Amino acid sequence: MTTKVQSPADAGRPRSSSAGGPSRRRSGAAAIASARPWLLLTPALAVLALLLLWPLIRVVLFSFQDYGLRQIVSGETNFIGAGNYVEALTDSQLWSVVLPNTILFAVTAVLCTVVLGTLVAILMTNLGVFWRTVVGSAIMVAWAMPAVTGTYVWVWIFDADNGIVNQLLMGAGLMDEPFNWFTNRWTFYLIVLINVVHHGFPFVAITVMAGLLGVSKEMLEAAEMDGAGAFRRFFQIVFPSLRQVFAVVIILSTIWDFKVFGQVYLMPGGSGTNRSVLNLGVWSYVESFGQNRYGFGSAIAVLLTLVLLAITVIYIRVLMKEDEL
Amino acid sequence: MKKRHLPIAILATAALSLSACSSGGNNGTDAEGETLDVWIMQGTNTESDDFFDRVSDAFNERTGATLNVEMVQWADAHDRFVTAIAGGTTPDIAETGTTWTAEFAEAGALAPIDDYIADAGLDGKLVEGLVESGTLDDALYGMPWYAGVRSVVYRTDLFDAAGVAVPTTWAEFQDAALALKQSNPDIIPFPVAGDAEYLAYPWVWGAGGEVATKSGDTWTSGLDSSEAREGIQFYTDLALKDGTSTAGATTWKETDILDNFAQGKVGMAIMGSWTPATILEKNPELEGKIGSFPIPGQDSGISPSMLGGSHLAMFESSGNKDLGWEFMDLMTTGEFATEWATQSGYFPGETSALDATVAEADDITKAFADQMVEAGAALPVTPKFGAVQAKKTTNTMIQSILSGEKTVEQATADAASEMTAILNEK
Repeated sequence: MTTKVQSPADAGRPRSSSAGGPSRRRSGAAAIASARPWLLLTPALAVLALLLLWPLIRVVLFSFQDYGLRQIVSGETNFIGAGNYVEALTDSQLWSVVLPNTILFAVTAVLCTVVLGTLVAILMTNLGVFWRTVVGSAIMVAWAMPAVTGTYVWVWIFDADNGIVNQLLMGAGLMDEPFNWFTNRWTFYLIVLINVVHHGFPFVAITVMAGLLGVSKEMLEAAEMDGAGAFRRFFQIVFPSLRQVFAVVIILSTIWDFKVFGQVYLMPGGSGTNRSVLNLGVWSYVESFGQNRYGFGSAIAVLLTLVLLAITVIYIRVLMKEDEL
Repeated sequence: MKKRHLPIAILATAALSLSACSSGGNNGTDAEGETLDVWIMQGTNTESDDFFDRVSDAFNERTGATLNVEMVQWADAHDRFVTAIAGGTTPDIAETGTTWTAEFAEAGALAPIDDYIADAGLDGKLVEGLVESGTLDDALYGMPWYAGVRSVVYRTDLFDAAGVAVPTTWAEFQDAALALKQSNPDIIPFPVAGDAEYLAYPWVWGAGGEVATKSGDTWTSGLDSSEAREGIQFYTDLALKDGTSTAGATTWKETDILDNFAQGKVGMAIMGSWTPATILEKNPELEGKIGSFPIPGQDSGISPSMLGGSHLAMFESSGNKDLGWEFMDLMTTGEFATEWATQSGYFPGETSALDATVAEADDITKAFADQMVEAGAALPVTPKFGAVQAKKTTNTMIQSILSGEKTVEQATADAASEMTAILNEK
């Protein structure tokens, strides 16, 4: 009983005692001042370490093991050195199908997303308040649509037997019999591209528009007076002042488009039956998690992270001047 | 001290009740206050809530313990099992699909139940195909609960309009599909789905081929044998040469066939014994217009079809194995087993219950019963076959033939070498 009564009093004491001793207060205050940022960051850092760092370390540890269901059940480790990495990097399918699909798609998708997003942003800055709100709301709807729902809508539009695209083409006399768009590698990825760009451009548009509104009007006006055309104004004034914005937008789009999974996996034939459309996301899922090979999957995840890190570093170096870093 | 004695007491009482069971009596164990956690897959039976309410009552009466049933979606069940195993939160008993049981057993997650089966006198009284798929290294891990099989479901009105009878050979089957196409050009006479391996195996088996065989320790896929090729050729030619399918079906799954059939767009299709009820639920207008017949044999008889279904499996981590067995016994034998099967369009996994169901079967169920009893087949029983299915080896083969990417020879050769390689991984 006595300890219970004392403890609240103890808790209150340090504050009053430090107020009593001025010298102790000064050194204590300095220590607190220097520690304050860290103290304030502690909760966030602790959460990050728990949620991000520890899983990250586990993934790296798993990637050096032959880790399957049996290891999950028994909790044992089973290190096999770099075996998973060797297997992943020597898979012929990876080099002949998976990587070409992934890289070509990511490059095209990032390009289309950023160009379309920027054009929409420019359009919106030139609109009045009412129409800007209308266009803004419309693209927000595309953005807010879950990727799964969006994918099913596009699948339905391109459906071979009942899809609107085939019906239009056949009605216009351009096609004699229904064509299955999902069996051909190029038409398959064309649909994925439309889906991903449609879902991804609103983010670019909104971000770039925010940047555009900050570009100095005086500079643009001066350039116009000097006889600079719209293209010249964009590439010599707007683009340089939006460099950071474009860096962020391009890096994020690259990361998203590089690891596209659901938009491919949910398409007819996309879950592994059509081997010519495998991309990195689906391939790693089918080869590892589908077969309970969690170690192999972790190795692929580590490789993917390294590749994306490398791309990000290159982008930042190219897009930003040294002093901006 | 009381706590430490409790498990022993349960063990003793459970053992008592076990012997009581085998002699037909039912005087109840005393597991008062205990809870048994059970995972059941959602969607098999539309009346499952009411069903499990009554099972809980009966279980409580029999053992005194509380039953805690959790419904799990098929789609994320595999992941749920894996995370539960990793986190040590597995249930005591779970429904496992027949293709998963060996996989989880091999990993050491399941407990063998041979002793319980022997004590209950159920040896030799369980449906063979389900026992086979629940067995790993001569130990039984999956208690046969219910089985399903695929046969042909067809539109009786369209058959009458086309003037065709139920086919009994492959040649007649082909003629029927062509006649349906002739008499009603708007329907899909017989869809050949490119992403549905279970619909392709009957033609492999029917022509005398094998999916994979084991000799010694080595597996060999039989998909590239001349018999298997003949069957696959016949099946895919229905789409490619006879035009009984559609362009879209090249990427269809079984669910797409079901949807299109329910919309009244399909003449006949290979579908599961559990689908007629779903079709009528989705489209009541088809009432009285659908029938079924076993998949015809090449020249006579029935082409074998995959015997699928579910086991009840006991987790090794369960602290209540005897109580768990009480539940398994209650569910898989007698009244509840028959009722579940009848409600869901499946067949019980215990032979006497199966006989009772078959005896009461209506016309549609009758064909499925014949298919199951006379020509139910099992896929290669090895945990590695799950990897083959994850990689979609067979689906890839069928789809690449249908899309014109590969010839039958090429596609079967590729699929066979891939399957052989995966099955023989250590």
